[in-house]
This record gives sequence, C-alpha cells and structure tokens, in this order.
Amino acid sequence: MLLREVEYAKPGSVADALAILREHDGARALAGGQTLINVMKARAASPDVLVDLNGLDDLKGIELAADGTLTIGAMATYTDVLASAEARARPILGEVCATIADVQVRNRGTIGGNVCSNDPTNHLPPLMAAVGARMTIAGESGERTVDAHDFFLGVYLTAVGPGELLTRISVPAGKQDGFAAVTLGADGTCIANAAASIDGGRVRVALGCVDAVPVVVTADGPEGVGAAVDAANLMPPFDVHASSEYRGHLARVLAIRAAEQAAGRS
Amino acid sequence: MSTTTIETAPAEVVAPQKTWSGQNVPRKEDKRLTQGEGVFVDDIKRHGMGYIHFVRSPYAHAHITSIDVAKAEQTKGVYGTLTGEEVASLTDPFFQLSTPPGAYLKDYALAVGKVRYVGEAVVAVVAETRELARDASELVEVEYEPLDAVVDARKAQDDDAPVLHDESGSNLMWEGVFEWGDLDAAFAEADKIVKIDELHFHRFNSTPLETDGALVEFNRGTGQWTLYTNNQFPGFAQIMMGPAMRCGLDKLRFVTQDIGGGFGNKITSHPQLVACCLLARKLNRAVQWTEWRTDFHMSMSHGNERWFHDTEVAVKNDGTLLGFRTKALDDAGAWLRYEPLGGVIWAQVTPGVYKWRHIRLDFTQVATNKAPCSPNRGYSRMQHLWFTERVMDIVAHELELDPIEVRKRNYIKAEDMPYETPNGCIYDSGDYEKMLDVATDLIGWDGIEQKRAEAKERGRLLGVGIGSTLDSGTNNFGQSRLINPELQFSGNNEVATVKLDIFGEIVVTLGTTPQGQGHETTAAQVVADILGCSIDDVHVRAGHDSYWNSHAGFSGTYASQFAVTGLSAVKGATDMLVEQIKRLGSVVLGGVPEEALELAEGTVRIKDNPEAALPFMACGAIINANNAGLPEDLDVTLNCRYVYRPPFQLPDLERKFGNLTLTYASQIHAAVVEIDPETGYYEIVDYAAVDDCGVRIHPQIVEGQVMGATAQALGAVTHEAYEYDEEGNLLTPNFYDYHVPHALDMPPLRTGYIETASPFTPLGTKGMGEGGGAGIHAVCAALQDAMRGHGDAIVYDSWNPYKRVWEMLNARGAVVTVEPA
Amino acid sequence: MSSVASSKTVTVTVNGVEYEREVEARKLLIHFVRDDLDLTGSHIGCDTGNCGACSMLVNGQLVKSCMLLAIQADGATIETVEGLADGGELTRLQQSFSDHHALQCGYCTPGMLMSATALLREHPSPTDEQIRKGLQGNICRCTGYWNIFEAVKAAGA
Repeated sequence: MLLREVEYAKPGSVADALAILREHDGARALAGGQTLINVMKARAASPDVLVDLNGLDDLKGIELAADGTLTIGAMATYTDVLASAEARARPILGEVCATIADVQVRNRGTIGGNVCSNDPTNHLPPLMAAVGARMTIAGESGERTVDAHDFFLGVYLTAVGPGELLTRISVPAGKQDGFAAVTLGADGTCIANAAASIDGGRVRVALGCVDAVPVVVTADGPEGVGAAVDAANLMPPFDVHASSEYRGHLARVLAIRAAEQAAGRS
Repeated sequence: MSTTTIETAPAEVVAPQKTWSGQNVPRKEDKRLTQGEGVFVDDIKRHGMGYIHFVRSPYAHAHITSIDVAKAEQTKGVYGTLTGEEVASLTDPFFQLSTPPGAYLKDYALAVGKVRYVGEAVVAVVAETRELARDASELVEVEYEPLDAVVDARKAQDDDAPVLHDESGSNLMWEGVFEWGDLDAAFAEADKIVKIDELHFHRFNSTPLETDGALVEFNRGTGQWTLYTNNQFPGFAQIMMGPAMRCGLDKLRFVTQDIGGGFGNKITSHPQLVACCLLARKLNRAVQWTEWRTDFHMSMSHGNERWFHDTEVAVKNDGTLLGFRTKALDDAGAWLRYEPLGGVIWAQVTPGVYKWRHIRLDFTQVATNKAPCSPNRGYSRMQHLWFTERVMDIVAHELELDPIEVRKRNYIKAEDMPYETPNGCIYDSGDYEKMLDVATDLIGWDGIEQKRAEAKERGRLLGVGIGSTLDSGTNNFGQSRLINPELQFSGNNEVATVKLDIFGEIVVTLGTTPQGQGHETTAAQVVADILGCSIDDVHVRAGHDSYWNSHAGFSGTYASQFAVTGLSAVKGATDMLVEQIKRLGSVVLGGVPEEALELAEGTVRIKDNPEAALPFMACGAIINANNAGLPEDLDVTLNCRYVYRPPFQLPDLERKFGNLTLTYASQIHAAVVEIDPETGYYEIVDYAAVDDCGVRIHPQIVEGQVMGATAQALGAVTHEAYEYDEEGNLLTPNFYDYHVPHALDMPPLRTGYIETASPFTPLGTKGMGEGGGAGIHAVCAALQDAMRGHGDAIVYDSWNPYKRVWEMLNARGAVVTVEPA
Repeated sequence: MSSVASSKTVTVTVNGVEYEREVEARKLLIHFVRDDLDLTGSHIGCDTGNCGACSMLVNGQLVKSCMLLAIQADGATIETVEGLADGGELTRLQQSFSDHHALQCGYCTPGMLMSATALLREHPSPTDEQIRKGLQGNICRCTGYWNIFEAVKAAGA
C-alpha cells in the first residue's frame, strides 16, 4: 500500500516527456494511474521516475476525420470517450468503456493506459484488435504507426519501447461491432471476453484473457466462428475463477455471441 | 436486476407517541458519521508515535532458521523491531481452550521457530512514518527452511501429512461425538435412507471495510497500557492477553469508539495487540498498527470451513425426516484462536428449524497451513444450518417432493414453542411456517412456473429456492465445557451504567463495542421510555472504555446479543435509577410514599398532584452538590451500575445436554436465479427476506441488519472465497479476486417480518444481526431447482461461482443414493 | 526541461482552505489528506483501489485518492466529506442517508457521500440504474446498498 521512493516529473510537452524517459532508465509513464499506482503499492514494480503525462493536453483529444477515422489521444480517459460526440461514430468504444470498473476509475483511467498495460484481462486490447485500430508511437526519431496485431507483444508488453510513448490510436470507420464478456461481478474484471467486428464480409474476433496477447480469428460469418476458435487451439491460463478448459469454453461461446452481436448491427 | 424494490410490511410511527421503543428514531451516531467526524482507530494520532509494519511469512510451512534485524534497525527513522524470540521470552503462550492434543499448541504474538501459514507475522518493524516502516521491513532478513504444507483438511490426518504443531503430535486439534435420541430406532422406522457422500461449506469471511488496528500507549510509571483499538470483544482479548503478558487485566485498558464493521472478524486480534503492547513498552513511545487489506485476507479470522461426510438421513415416504448422522470435518487453519469452540457452538441449533429428534454428529477439527479460523458472522451455526437446509432440499429432490411441503411437514410448529431440542436447547418462540408463507408470497411462488417458462424462451434456466435459518443469540459460555470440561467459563453477562448528573443530564455507558448496530440509539430508546423523558435528553457515550468500569468478563459486541444482554443491562441500570429517583423524591417531596410517585416529562412527581414535581436536574444537584440534611440511611447515588446475567445453568457434560443460547431469532429467505446454461453464469433476479427477532426496538436498524447479512450471504455463495493453491498460497488476497458485492450486483429485495416476543428476556427482544447465512441456503436451493431436468445436479458446496455451476450442468454434483431402509 | 524531483512543496485547496506542504513524490493523496492535513473523514479500506472509501472530488471530478499521488494534486481544488455540511447543518443528502438508514458503521459513508454528491451534480434526478452505476466504485459491507439507493434517490430533485 506504500510506494517505494520515486522521483516525479510533470512535463509540459511530449518532447519533454520523451526526453525524461530517454534520460532515466527506470522511468515509466504515468497515465491514469489506475493500474500503475496499484502495481507500485504492491511493490511488484518500482520505477525510479514517474513521468506524469496528465499535463499533455495534446494527447487528450478525440477527433473524427471526414473519412470516418476516429483518432483518440492516448491520454483520453474513459469518461472522455463516453462524453465525446465524435466517439459515437464507433459506438462499441463507449459501450465497452462504460462497463469498465466504476466512475472513479473511468475519470482517471486512459485509453492509452489500458492498451499499453496489456493485462490479459483488459477490455481494450481485444477490442482494438477486433476493430483494426492503429497505434501511433512517438520516439526520439519521430512517429511510427503500428497495427493492433503487431502492437500487443506479451503480458504487460507492447510495441512501445523504452523512451517512447503511445500518442494516439486511430480507429477506422465501422459500426458492426460486438463485445461479450463474463466478468467477476457486474462491471468487474473479465474472466473471459471477446470483441468482434465485421469488415468487408469477414468477421474478425479477438479473444482476451486466453493468452498473453489477444488471439485473433476470422471467419466468413458468425456461424464459422466456433470452428475458427477451435482451430486456434487455445491453451488458456487457469486461475481461481476458471480452469483452462472452462475459460476456453467461455471464449468460444463469447466469440460466437460477439460475432452475432456484430452481425446484428447495421 | 434493473430496479430495486423494497416492499416492507410497514413499521409505522405511532402518533401520539407512546414509547420510543418500536420507532425508527433518528440514529444518534449519524450526525458524526455523515460528516466524517467518526473516530476510527487509524484517525487517532499521538506525538512521536511509531508506525508498525509486520514482516510476514511467504511460506505456508517452514522452519525459521535465522532472523537478522540489524540492517532494519540501523536505518534512519526506524525506532525498533520485535522478533518471535523476544516475544517468547517476554510472554507466555496464549491460553488454549482445547483439550489435548490441541491444548499443547504454543501460540505467541509472533511466529516462534516456525511459520505455519502464508502471511503469518514474523517480525515487527516500527518507524517514524508508515513508509519508512514499510521500507525498513524489506531490510529484515529472514531465512526459512520450507516444509511441505497440508491445505486439504481431508488429508490432514493422513499418515504422511505434514504436522503443523510438534507439540500436539498430529493435526488433530479436537474431536467429539454428539448423539441424541435413538438413531437405530429412527433408521429402522425409516422408509428410506438418503445417503450424501460429501458436502462442503467453504472458507470466507465478512471483510469489514475497516481492517484491524490499534494505537497502543504504555505508561511506564503505572505499568498501564491503553489500547485504542477496534477489537470487538475486549473481555475475551483481556482474558487472553493478561496471562500471556504476565500482567493484571486492569493493566490493559481497551478504548474503542467507532468501528468500521466487525462481523466477528475483529475478535481475535489479540496476538497483534500483544505485539503492539510489547513494542510500546520497549520503545517507550506510542505505536500504531493498521492492518493492510491483503494482510487481513491472508491472516485474520477466516470463517470455519467444514466438510460433512457420509451423511445418512432417515426418511419416511411422506417426507417426514426422522433424523440424521454425519461426520463434520472442520478446518481450523494454523492456530486455534477462538477454536475449538466452533466444535460445540453449532449445537445451539442442532436440528435447525426442524423437529427431527435422532441426531448424531461426529465432529473432528484439524489444523492446516491456512489462516487461523475465528468467528465469522453466523459462527459455526451457519455451517450447520446450511447443512440442514441442503439435507431438506436433497431429500425433497431425491424423493420428488415439493420443498415447501417437506419444510412445512418438518418445521417445528409455533404451538410447540418454547421447544426443547434433542440436546436440550430451548427455542424461545417463532413461527416458521408463517414466515415461509410470507416469503413465498413476497417472491410470487405461485407464478414461478410461468416465470420459468418465460425464462426458458430467453434461453435461461430459472430456479427458486428457500433458505430457513436461525440466529441463536446470547451464548451460555458453559457450552465451552462440552469442548473442554476443565474450562472455567459459563453463563454470560453485560454491563451498563446510567446516571443522573448535576445538571440533570442522563448519561449512559455500555460495555459493548458497536460496529454500526446503533447501540447509542437503541439504548437511549429504552432509557427514555423507562424514565419518561425525551430521547434527546439521554446521552449514551460512544464506544467502550475499560476505565468506565462498565464492562465484565464477556463484554463486547458479538454473537447476536446486544438487544438481550446490552439492553437488559441498560434496563436493569435504569430501573435501579428509577427506584433511587423515587426514593429521593419521596424524601424531598415531604415523605410521600414511593408508590404514589411517577416519572414523567423529566421529573419525578406525585401522581395525584403532578404540580408537585422535582425535575431531574434538581435530583442530580441535590445528590451531587447539595446533600446536607438528607437522611443518613438514604441509599441514593443516582449512579447505577447493573450487570445483566441471563438465566443459564451448566450443561450436562455427560449427555451434552442443556440450554446453550437464550434466544432464537429466525429468518426465511427465498431466491430466484436465472442460469445461462451455455456459460454457467447466473443472476439472482428476485429475492425475499423475512425475519423474526422478537420485539423490535428500532425496526429500521433490525431491517438494516437483515439486509446486510443478506448481502454478505449473497456475496459468499456467488463469489467470495478464500481459496488456496496446493502450496498454501492464498489466491484471493485482495478485493480484485475476492469479489464482494458492489451496487450493480444487488438483486431486487423484498422484506417482511413477524414479531414473536421472547418469553425469556426482560424486553421480549431477541438478539439478531448475524443472520445465519439464509442467502447462501436459498441460492443453493435455487440453483439446484434451476438445474432440474438439466443435469439434475445436487448442489454440494456453499460456494457456487460460475465455473462450478457450469461443472454441475455438465455432470452431477454431490453423490447421493437412496436406499430402502 | 521539467524537473525530476523526489519531493515538492505542493499547494492544495481542500474544502475551501488552502494548505501548503512539502510532500514526498511517493505519498498517496489519501495519506496526505489524512496524515498531513489531519482530515481523517476520508478512509482507507483496501490496498488495490477497489473499495472507494477514499473517494473525493479533485477539481470537480470523483476519484479514488489512493490511486493519485499527492504531488499530482498540486494546485488542485479538493472536496472531501468534511466540506459537505455547513457548520454542523447536514446537507439534504447527509440527512437523507440518516433518514433511510443508509449507514451503519459509517466507514464507507464519506466515500459514498462524495460519490453520491458527484452523481447528483451530474444527474440531479437520477434513475435507479444511474444511482447503481454512480455508486459502483464504493464497497459497503454493512447495508447491502439498498437503503443507500433509496437515500440517494430521495435526495435528488
């Protein structure tokens, strides 16, 4: 419950933030803090320097382009997404954000933080993988953009490297999306979840909770999703909430439900 | 779960008001609590105080081979440390309640030589700030030699099981056989014998939002410790701590004010309190300890985990249950802190609410490498009552009988009250059948089949279930002798003082340690009624303080008894005060006989001439400051202390027979669940709770307790569990994985009540508050009902998360056979 | 470039009163408020950000102060339970809690009141669903929440 000693900085620009991250090996970005502060309380990780991103207004916007692409700043909070008229262009985003934890967490927790922490039970990694989001990462030499399926690399591990920051997430236009989860209590931690998106006749389903990173399967329609999940040969982790077998079973059921939800939308 | 409906049989405020009791008067506690002005233990500060952090064992079972605190002690800002070795030289082991082999346990404030569960406290570090204590604790070097651990009670007595306590030689802590009636005759008379292989009541507790804590000061000049703490049973803590610390009990002053929930889980903090006391003395400064949530989960007061093996039930074809035999295996965890009292406390409710007369229960309690068990809301009775309810529903299921009919056929009847159970407990009053009718009415039992069909259209399995339970209140501590005949405990008591001060202020002190039950308010209601004054004129001191001398050996707030013990003490003290006021009034009002006097409107006055009145203020002033000229033999102090003693006898140790609790409140609940058969996910879609706690002093407070107990039971049956892996690591050490109900989890709730007064208590009240786990029994029954025709699983465990429901849908649950007798 | 430091002097305004204190970077806002500012009305009930007993309003936003560093609150305007009542005169919400027996031990109550306050500011006449969502981040072990829902509903417009 009590953090180890740490140093703190609150840069006023992305460039400043990147410089501090580069200069200090043990520096970590502090976004919403709804995960990192708890990790530090448990002393499971103890960065030397916290780089507070909450002063970076450049990273907070949510914009809708003429072609329907939605660009969400990494520091946009769940509450920002819920309040944003632009974000309603892709309704699934707000629908899922509304089920994350509670008001207090949603007021501080950020889209970028959820995606970068890449906890297997998080909602947004599978969602972003399903909708085909693209992540923009800023570093010393400029910006680069990474597709969702190349972004999530391992448990708590993403393509954002040392000295880099996720700055924004671009979500293409689309409305045929679904999300299904079994959670520990209402709006609780996911035991299993699945996000689905229909794009050009194909349904893409991303399964969370079953592996280090979202597992993506595709099929021609919801009726093919079950077989696609089987073919993925899942070996989900077990824990106090689910055996490997049960989690795998849930994943299959939820994948089909998410796909059916997506198909049911126009 | 979209709407909350609370439909209550109305508790109306009678106008013009005749009595304060029975009304929902505003709670005196609320003004400070809603403004954040409550005083909880972590709120208290002392100049220069040290903050304690406990270094805890990462192993479930290990020898401690070395401890080095040098680096920690040399750190700037660290005031000092305490190790098990020091504790063992400064204190004696805690008194053990058990007979051998459990009697031989050597239990100290810190682990000595060995650790026996993950989270056991090994070293205490005290520093200037919380952060420094935490930091310095990482510099303490403890070397361990890990040992194998045993976490399954069923394996604890295997030949190759690791033994926790060499002193006892085995993991058997206590065992006893309880048998009443004539089992052979019952089983001969039966038409069928229903055999249930294994049932399991799981390990959880009530996770009060405030964790344990204390701020302890030591007065070197007088040898007096003052413990500002939230321990809810100071009487027990003192009895345990005094001999261990080799000091008189009066040297341990307990002070509590506001406590953030107890539910029994704050009874056994005495080991940590001893550590605090030793440190306060050693370091010559106040020391402060606030338990971390994770530490609470890992180490404090798990509820009893109990297996029921080889159950056999003697049944008639018409559904009459004649009796049962079972083997109860209780998992006490690593230490016996209040145990093995759990081995007898269930016997307060041996037959549950049913009239079977032939019962045998073989009780075995073992130690395992898990957190020590201590009382948890419903302590030991809840486990047993769950068992009786499971038996009812399993028998009904196997014999294809209606669970309502089976219950009505077997319930103890209202006209049989007071009812003597097979082991001599007296159920004071109650009408279970009536309560069941109210419950089934509230839940819309008659329309259930239609709801079931509707749910099926939506692909859901709907089920409905009943949970009947008892809240036995006001213990006869003589039952401890059924555990150990050498114990010198019996009866019970509680204390209150009521005085009239110089300016007429009415001041009440209690011996209790309330954690939200509204003692200040209900005590004031009783006092105001007796004195005939306004409730606003009655001031009840908040909390508990040994220095008020308003406590006795059993003082505290636990075991559903305040409405009986606490309020009876208040009544007794107030009656004494009334008598004294009249005696004084008689003298001052010119020798009028006391029978001619009455108390009304804050005065003592002549009934036939109300103008001849002496205000309370005058009474107080005369006795305290203006008493010259009063008759020498006038025995009036206006400061009355009363010790309430419930009418108990020692139980018959041979037959294990006798009255173990004074009152029996009851609750009957009904739950409706909907299961998603594809996933095992389910929701509680409707719920009804009916209670009877005798005369209700404050209906809203009573209902609040019913609601709270219901919510905790629902949390326990769905998600809450202290689950361990095979190495003895706790898998649910915080609120992420140990999910307690939040706002969105709550089903709609309908409540109802009846009042059957207790014939045995001064106010007709019955203790209540624990609730007996009715929610667990009802949801288990509802799940089983939902699965009829879909696997027909028998619910065998009190913990039914989604994964278990899915397993049950795909295979049978408990192994049950029915044989002809 | 911005400074990297292990402590800082921060200024916060809590319930209308300004405080200036030196604070370690690692100190949680809840500990700062309780221990440094002696405002012990807000409570701590867990160590993983789940229970909500530490809830308070920071710059008008409801947050769990155990997941915010004190140093992050530099310059912020904070509202805690102590700031609700006006000189002992309970607010409509506080009175409603008492009337509906929406508190027993009172430990979750300060956080619950702040969450309800935030809710009512955004939804003056909240629906049952909005009330549940609004209080989802606050654990109560005593009441079962039902009376709390009633109290908040009754305190609405």
